[in-house]
Amino acid sequence: MEERLYDLVFIVRPATPEEEIKKVLSTVEHACAEKGAKVEKAETWGTRKLAYKVMKHREGIYFYQQVRTTHGELVHELERRLGVQDAVIKYQTVRLDEDLKRQKKLVHKREQRAARRPRRPAPPPAPSAAPMGDPGTHAS
Amino acid sequence: MSEEQKQGQPASPAVSREAAEGHGAGPRREGAGPHLAAGRREGGPGGGGRREGGPGGPRRGKRQYFRKKKVCKFCVEKMDFIDYKRADILSQFVQERGKILPRRMTGVCSRHQRWLGVAIKRARNIALLPFAGSAAGTLAPRAVEAHKS
Repeated sequence: MEERLYDLVFIVRPATPEEEIKKVLSTVEHACAEKGAKVEKAETWGTRKLAYKVMKHREGIYFYQQVRTTHGELVHELERRLGVQDAVIKYQTVRLDEDLKRQKKLVHKREQRAARRPRRPAPPPAPSAAPMGDPGTHAS
Repeated sequence: MSEEQKQGQPASPAVSREAAEGHGAGPRREGAGPHLAAGRREGGPGGGGRREGGPGGPRRGKRQYFRKKKVCKFCVEKMDFIDYKRADILSQFVQERGKILPRRMTGVCSRHQRWLGVAIKRARNIALLPFAGSAAGTLAPRAVEAHKS
């Protein structure tokens, strides 16, 4: 399987003691290590106000991790383990690699298009970046 | 009827006959030539002044509204990936009560509106943005409890 990139965000109850948090994080780490996944980023966004009440809480501690793996079933395992934890009130996994691939393609296309056009030293007055000698149908 | 064809302005009762047969879903073919280019698309400036022909026309809003020529913010900034984690950006496109704003209000292009919708829904799932109607939980507590995961 080709490599996939996942975003994992989970929310922990507010005012959870440190050791509980560590336990949750280590669960995630172990699950990733078992399947040979690499944790690219791990952030703690801290306590944030929730947009709506979740399990009667109005605040939560947000954690964000980015995981790269070739094993798709890791997601299922991660979510299962997080669901078991009492401290975790919400989690979400998002697959990102297709989106990023599309983004790269668009950036690449844009750069190619820009490179093909003859560039002039003076900045053009028109809002778009196309110079006036463009054989397109721009009527600026 | 001939003067209507020349001016095309007033919405007189005699129009209804023409409207019924010719206009169907929107002012595609119109007798008034000069007015055709003005408001064929929805909400074009001066397009609301023409007679409201078909019942399915895109401009049968409550009133005619002019639309400022808006550009898509994402296209201008060349943002190809709308991050669902950026609640600050996403909240600009969301009403106070959490509803997603329509394109005609924000000026977003169709492609980015689709991606925006996806990002907003993802953000709602992790409580970065409210679901529509669950505004801060103070107004309708019962509705909020129903959204509890």
